Formats: sequence, C-alpha cells, structure tokens
Amino acid sequence: MMWSWIPQNWSLIWNLTWENAKLGVLPALYGLVISLPLGIVAARWRWFYPPVLTVVNVLYAIPSLALFIALIPAFGLTDTTVIIALTVFSLCVILPNVVAGLRAVPAPIRQAATAMGYSALRRLVTVELPLAIPVIIAGLRVAVVSNISLASLGQLIGVSSLGYLFIDGLQRDFPTEIYVGLVLIIVLALVCDLILVGVRRALTPWEPRRERRERQERAVPARRLAA
Amino acid sequence: MITFEAVTKRYPDGTVAVDALDLEVPAGKTVVLVGPSGCGKTTTLRMVNRLVEPTEGRILLDGRDIREQNPARLRRGIGYVIQQTGLFPHRTVEDNIATVPVLSGWPRAKARARARELLTLIGLDPALARRYPHQLSGGQQQRIGVARALAADPPVLLMDEPFSAVDPVVRGSLQDQLIGLQTELHKTVVLVTHDIEEAIKVGDLVALYRPHGTIAQFAPPERLLGDPVDDYVAGFVGFDRGIRRLSFFASAGLSLKTAPVLGAGATVARAQDTGEPWILVVNDGKARGWIPSDRLGDYPGDTPLRQVPADGVGHTFAVGTDSLRAALDAAVLSPAGEAVGVDAAGQVVGVATFDQLRAAIQAADAADTAEAAAARAAAAADNSKKQDAAPAEEAEEGAPHPAREASPVPDSHRGAQP
Repeated sequence: MMWSWIPQNWSLIWNLTWENAKLGVLPALYGLVISLPLGIVAARWRWFYPPVLTVVNVLYAIPSLALFIALIPAFGLTDTTVIIALTVFSLCVILPNVVAGLRAVPAPIRQAATAMGYSALRRLVTVELPLAIPVIIAGLRVAVVSNISLASLGQLIGVSSLGYLFIDGLQRDFPTEIYVGLVLIIVLALVCDLILVGVRRALTPWEPRRERRERQERAVPARRLAA
Repeated sequence: MITFEAVTKRYPDGTVAVDALDLEVPAGKTVVLVGPSGCGKTTTLRMVNRLVEPTEGRILLDGRDIREQNPARLRRGIGYVIQQTGLFPHRTVEDNIATVPVLSGWPRAKARARARELLTLIGLDPALARRYPHQLSGGQQQRIGVARALAADPPVLLMDEPFSAVDPVVRGSLQDQLIGLQTELHKTVVLVTHDIEEAIKVGDLVALYRPHGTIAQFAPPERLLGDPVDDYVAGFVGFDRGIRRLSFFASAGLSLKTAPVLGAGATVARAQDTGEPWILVVNDGKARGWIPSDRLGDYPGDTPLRQVPADGVGHTFAVGTDSLRAALDAAVLSPAGEAVGVDAAGQVVGVATFDQLRAAIQAADAADTAEAAAARAAAAADNSKKQDAAPAEEAEEGAPHPAREASPVPDSHRGAQP
C-alpha cells in the first residue's frame, strides 16, 4: 500500500468517483421514472403485470457486460451505453417494488378514499403513491447500490468509472490502486444509501418506526451480484 | 330519504347478494341493517354511495336517482365510516378529518378549522390534531373516522360495522356518542352490523336480513322484540327478547307503594304496624337498606330502625326516566324482591313489587300492541290508497313513522293480535 499515491492522484480519483456516482444514480432515477407508470398500470390492471415481469426478469438475466456490448453498435463506447444498460437493470429492481408498494396499500384505505369522493387519479397521487413510498425507496436503494458496483464494469468498454483503478492497478501490478477503488466504491454506495434513507424519512414523517423495519424486510428483493 | 326500489345485486358468478330489495330510509332516522354474514347488508350499504352498482332496480336519494350524479360528487355528500377506520396513515388527524372539505375545494385553513371543531364535537382533545392515526387508540381512531365522515356536514351517513373492532366498553361509549350526535344532527344514517344488541340500541328502525339478500322484518326495534314476524326473526333477536323489549317501555306508568318506606328514626313497632314483609329504611330521603319483618321481632318495639341491621339496597331505578327493564332488574337484584324507585335527585319515591311490575308491563304491552295494530292498519290503508291513486305518491309528510310498518312480509304472517 503506497499512501503517497492517493494525494498525488487526487483529481483523478475525484473525477472517477464522480463519474461512478453519476453512473450509479442516474440510471436508478431513469429506472424509477420508467417504473412508475409501468408499475401503476400493472398494479391497476393485473393481467398486465405477469408478461411485463417476465420480460423484466429475462432482461435482468443478461450479463451486464453482454448488454454493454450489445448496445455499442447503437450508442458507441459512451456513457449512454452504460447508462441505458444500468437503467434496464434498475427497472428490473424498482418495478416490482412499485407494484408491491401500490398493492400493499390496505384495501380499506383505498375504499375509504373512493368513498370520500376521490377521483381515481387524485387517489393515486395523494393517497396510494405516498403510502407506497417506503417500498419504492427500498427498491431504489438496491438499484443505486448495485448500479454503483456494476458501473465499474463500464471501464471495460472505456467508460470512466472507479473500475479504471481496478484495471489499471491490475495491468501495472499496483495493488494500492485496486484497494483505493474498492474502498471508494463501498463508501460511495454507503453514502448514496444513507442519503436515500434520509430522503425516505423526510418523505414519510408519518411512519411508525417499528413498521418501517418490517416493511423493508418484506420488500427488498434479492440483490444482483456484480459481474 | 333513501329509497331502494326493487334493487338486486347479482355477481357474475351468479351469487345474488341482494334480492329485489325495497327499503325506505326516512330522513333524519338511524336505520340499522343487521343479519348474518353474507346476507347482503354491506352490499346494500355500498350501493348507496355507488361503491357497488346494482344489477337491477334503482336507488333514490331524496327522490333523485343516484346514477344521475357523478360518483365522486355524490360520495362527497355521503359520509362513510368503516370498521377498519380507513384513516389515511400519512395524514395528520386534522388533515384526515378535513379530507372531504379539501376535496370539495375549501381553503386548507378553513378545512382545518372545521376539523378542530369536529374534534371537539366528538369529544377528543383538539391537541390530537397534529398526531398521526397510528399514535391513537382504536377507539380514538374510530371517533376520528366518524368526524371525517361528518366534516362536510353531509345529510347522509353510511356506517359499515363501525364499532366492531373495538372492545365492548369503548363500543358502548361510541354507540352512546352516535345516539347523542343523532339527537343534535339528525343525519340520515344507515348502519350495518351483525350485532343485534347494537341494532336494537342505536336503531330507530331495524332491517333484519335473511341469508340471501332479503329482509325478514323492517320495524322499530321494540317491534322486532315484541312482535317478530317468524321464528327466524325471533331466533335472531334472541331468547330473552321479552326482557330486552322492556328497555323501550318507560317506568312512568308504574305504580309504587310507599307503605314500606320508613325513616331511620321510626320505631320497630311502627314498622311492624305496616304489615309489610320488608321495610325500606331511608335517611334524608336516601335508601339505607332493607329489613325483613321477621328480624324486627328480635328488637323492643321502641327501638329506632337505624339500630336494626339492614340488608343492602342493590340498585335503584329512576322513576319515569329509566325503563321498565331497569325497574325489573332493580327488583331482581333487591333482597326484598322489590325495586326502589328514586327521583332525579336520588330521593326515594316508593317501591315496586313484582306484581306492580307485571301490571305495568302488561299495560305497556297492551298499549304498544294497540299502537302497532293502528300503525299496521294505517299502513294498509295507505297502501290501498296508493294503489287507487296511481302513480304512487310519497307517503304523507305528516305521518309520524311512515316506514315503521313497511315490512315486506304480508300482515297475515305477523304476530297474533289481541
């Protein structure tokens, strides 16, 4: 471990971390934006969900590197390629949580809202979606963390990320670089996760703490293994 | 007023939840739908605010077909309370209560002010306004549910097993509160329950359902108890219906005797002179205890009664305000077998023996039966008048209980007349 390498390469490390953060967070947000309408439709019209879920699961089964390569002809060796691929994976994680979150809204609450005179749209926006927030954010957290880890693979097609430190460190037989990259990915994932926890708490001041823990345990799907 | 005209609800699988239902819920009255589970009572309720649409027939709200109105707007004019409260967990108590006013376009500040007003009305601390529902007890949540339903001051209130999920003590107080609110607000209430006691307690009229979506009897609760149309109804209201029916008879007509009531300073000799088997000793007008006449013989004739050991009074009944059921209960629990009647201030007015109670019960029963017969005759006359004067007109406004005897069962099936 060569500690002096770190300050000497500070700006490189910072740039790579920033790039990696973008590749982790943006696809998750895009995935959320796509998942919301799909999830809303799937929660409302039940027949719609099984085929969508099948497609999503098949996409999820594609190795990330293979998906990068498949996208290169269209988008080249660019950020876009990585972002599209990670958006697809994010979608796979977030969509089931959107559906689960909306379906978990207790029937009496939905019925009461209807009986109070809510239109379907207003009920969705002001009652159902707010109640689904904890489950949706649970999915978002998994997506962001797994994206941050998967983004490092983008380096294999030349898109800069902390993955650069692994490849460069390996090629130069310089372990310090690999350790730094590893620690930064973990720290980055933890920081993003904490931010999302904070966002959820800010958005759901009404949640009793006890239930909060139970709900997460119920809703978080299996994590995708990197690479 | 809510009118069901030949309403049927048939589900795609062929299940008939409600079968050709005719029912009239008079304005300002509490009508309770009661029956076994799956009898169609909840379906009936949900058809009023179009959560369920009827397959056949129509439902009128103040003479207007509910299908003519936009469902969301219709619902904002109908309060709705359910067993599981259905409170929005992500909204504070005040915002929950303010739901319908906000939906109807009130400014938020005004809606919240209204919410606080309602918290007071339902007997909760306005300091709860900023809490979330999960921070409240079940009984409090249920009250908030009622407040939310009343927020926009709708003329109609639908309640689906509103008190079933709370413990019996809280349930009792919620029922009392509903009765209290009704004396002030005069909403047209439809309440669904499976609890016949609740139906009898809170209902002005009770519709008792048979299993497959028809009504066995629609009548005031005292009529249901006193004059069940058939064995099904009699079985449903329970074996002690005779006693429970006494709740509806005032004790005002009960004759009392005052001979056994003596002051604590009266002597044993004086007590023996009355010839009463039991002497009620009073002190400053309050009942102190019962002394059996055979105990008096153990004491010299000039002994004041306060020196003779007395048995407990049990409980008393308030003459006039309490029912004959309370008076009978007081007699049953009294060591003397005689009920102690008191006035509003708790001063003893007199005592009633079982014989006197029986006479009062028979008189009340005769009066009630006569009233029932008169109402039945009036309803029959009204019906034939309607048939003469087609198209059918609404029942005259002046009639005291236009729907009292609107039972779907023909008169010949009803209880024997005296």
